[in-house]
Amino acid sequence: MARRSTMLSRRGLLTGAAAIGGAAALSGGLSACGAAGAASAANPDQLQFWTLLSGGDGGTMADMVAKATGSGAAYDVKTTTLVWGEPYYTKLAMAATGGRPPELAIMHASRVPGYAPGGLLDSWDIGRLAELGVSQDDFPEEIWKKGMIGDKVFAVALDAHPTVLMFNPEICDKAGVLDSDGRLRETESPEEFIDLVGQVGGQTKGVPPLSYGYLGDGSHMFRLFYTFYTQHGASMTFPEGGRAEIDDDIAVESLELMQTLLDGKLAVQRNDYAAALAEFATGRSGLLFTGVWELRSVKEAGVPFDMTAIPTLFGTPAAYADSHAFVLPHQNQVDEHRRDLTYRFVADLLKGSYEWATAGHVPAYLPVTQSPEYAKLTPQSHYADVAERVNYDPAAWFTGSASNFHSNFGNAIQPALMTGKGAPGAIDAFRTRVDRLLKTQNPVDPDGTWTP
Amino acid sequence: MTAAVETPLARAAASRPRTTTTAGPSRERLVSWAFLAPFLIAFALFLVWPLVHGLYLSFTNQSLTGAGGSWAGLDNYQEALTDPTMWRALRTTVWFTVVSTIPLVLLALVMALLVHRGLPGQWLWRLSFFMPFLLASTVVSQIWVWIFNPDIGAANSVLGAIGIEPLAWLQDPAVNLYAIVIATVWWTVGFNFLLYLAALQNIPDQHYEAAALDGAGPWRQLWSITLPQLNSATVLIVMLQILASLKLFDQAYQMLIGVSTDTTRPIVQYIYESGFVGYRFGYSAAISYVFFALIVIVGVFQMTAMNRRRNLS
Repeated sequence: MARRSTMLSRRGLLTGAAAIGGAAALSGGLSACGAAGAASAANPDQLQFWTLLSGGDGGTMADMVAKATGSGAAYDVKTTTLVWGEPYYTKLAMAATGGRPPELAIMHASRVPGYAPGGLLDSWDIGRLAELGVSQDDFPEEIWKKGMIGDKVFAVALDAHPTVLMFNPEICDKAGVLDSDGRLRETESPEEFIDLVGQVGGQTKGVPPLSYGYLGDGSHMFRLFYTFYTQHGASMTFPEGGRAEIDDDIAVESLELMQTLLDGKLAVQRNDYAAALAEFATGRSGLLFTGVWELRSVKEAGVPFDMTAIPTLFGTPAAYADSHAFVLPHQNQVDEHRRDLTYRFVADLLKGSYEWATAGHVPAYLPVTQSPEYAKLTPQSHYADVAERVNYDPAAWFTGSASNFHSNFGNAIQPALMTGKGAPGAIDAFRTRVDRLLKTQNPVDPDGTWTP
Repeated sequence: MTAAVETPLARAAASRPRTTTTAGPSRERLVSWAFLAPFLIAFALFLVWPLVHGLYLSFTNQSLTGAGGSWAGLDNYQEALTDPTMWRALRTTVWFTVVSTIPLVLLALVMALLVHRGLPGQWLWRLSFFMPFLLASTVVSQIWVWIFNPDIGAANSVLGAIGIEPLAWLQDPAVNLYAIVIATVWWTVGFNFLLYLAALQNIPDQHYEAAALDGAGPWRQLWSITLPQLNSATVLIVMLQILASLKLFDQAYQMLIGVSTDTTRPIVQYIYESGFVGYRFGYSAAISYVFFALIVIVGVFQMTAMNRRRNLS
């Protein structure tokens, strides 16, 4: 009897466990599906909005969304913030493929050429935007054009976030490199700039005066390199299936300038991004090559600072930049009501993008940057002109922020920066890598059938 | 797999007196299949099917976005075998396996010997050697990212104390793979340690007593009794360790996020990047089958080595 009862209870236990497990798997799966669909189905006025803005940027965006949805707006917005970088683009692509993407998402403008051809994005109706006060004339030309493929607009830029030069006005003043307005003295050639950096070095107590960290950071290497490269008036073209068009002499000259600066005296030869930022943010160095997005972190560090465009050292004003841009992930069936609300939401965000400038980014919407309010905003107004001279990644399916193009660049170039030698070889290695990528078919459109 | 489970059942059925009805055996068989079903379904769904489907994908240009999918023949394999990044990644994984397996086996052995020799507070040693193994890879990565921080990390403080220049542990491509090795050893050596300790406890005390009577000292005993008796444990540990090291991904990906270079990208990471970052499922599947081939070669090599040992003994 006792034996039977243990057997029974064991069997009972197993059956029970299986039943519970099965039920949990079913209900878990089903309820997960239900939750995603239900949220937007329940409220026809609610928009799903995906961003990759975390940290300070995320907070600012949340404020902007709150402001837009606050005063009796016709729509409600559910913002989903995902981690910046590769995983974000993977998730967005999978959501669009799976037929249940958010109504609106933020992408880097430089990623659009690689994304749109898969049919992952719907294009914007320019007429509809214009009715809401958003048209081509309201944007700097280069920034608007970056959102276009063929004659269709796939991305509407919120901002430009260029690479800039930060400087410590106290240190620079002592070094005598500021003009009467307290701005950094203009330099027009590599020699003049090197001279200026050397002068600042007289005031930094043995610490190299210029901070630039690049180790393991292909993106940050490309930002400075491409700024110098495009300052020659040159461009790079990556024709699919063809060979990279890169001006070798100019590329080598740009890289050699970086090597000259990283000589251990003007700038630490082997530094990473965070360490370079820390040098400047603790007041040990006087100059920093960085992006506008570091404005807030440097401000919070409490060190005196100002910002300016990277000096034009090779004749043509140019700076590497990218844009956060609004895109419409492809919907299998467009809900016209929601889409209409999406247009209104985007127009409201653009008009309220003064707030976005506080995060350092240059708003793309000209009525904002041309307002008297913005002119008073410092140091933002000191570099707003960079928006007129932005240069994005060369267009190709494999380029853009958080793409493997930047890591390819970094892998080819880093040894030359670390050793100060072999610039021509490094450019060769870079070209080989790009040619290899060009031979690979675009994975979102492998059969090459897409047209805008 | 199924055969191993069925055999005892079949034997049990055969040995039973045949007094039951003729429906008995078929009912038994049905029940045994029913018991196997949960495993078999999961096995087919999550192991067999992905394996077969992955093989199919490797012959197509399927994209993560659903585009493509047309037959590509051997194109992906041809590209993989001529892709310098793929070979580089494969080399990284193999090199990591070599430089991590050696300390992971030797250190585990030394630690087990010390603890078994009767250090005071054995339980504390056992616990503290094994504890890191229980941590999630994310936690391990976070801890070591701090330790390896070039400015404020403990690793450089230690180097500084003995007068060695600080290293950019995770940023410098010349050393960052070794930094991963150090973190991995700390993390997983406890498992091998435990296996060795169990094997040590299996050696009968009589051997040592007899040896002591014959006048063998501690070193003689170590060489002539302990180590030979641990041989089969060592073979097992080395085998498991090689397979574990070949799977290198989590800690390398997490600790080198943003600083990953060609020299530190393991093959598994390259598979992930090709598929989920580059959206090229077909190509990514092809690389994983190239890697699979390597694992099969290692496996066959190990099996022949073990069989030869068994035949010798």
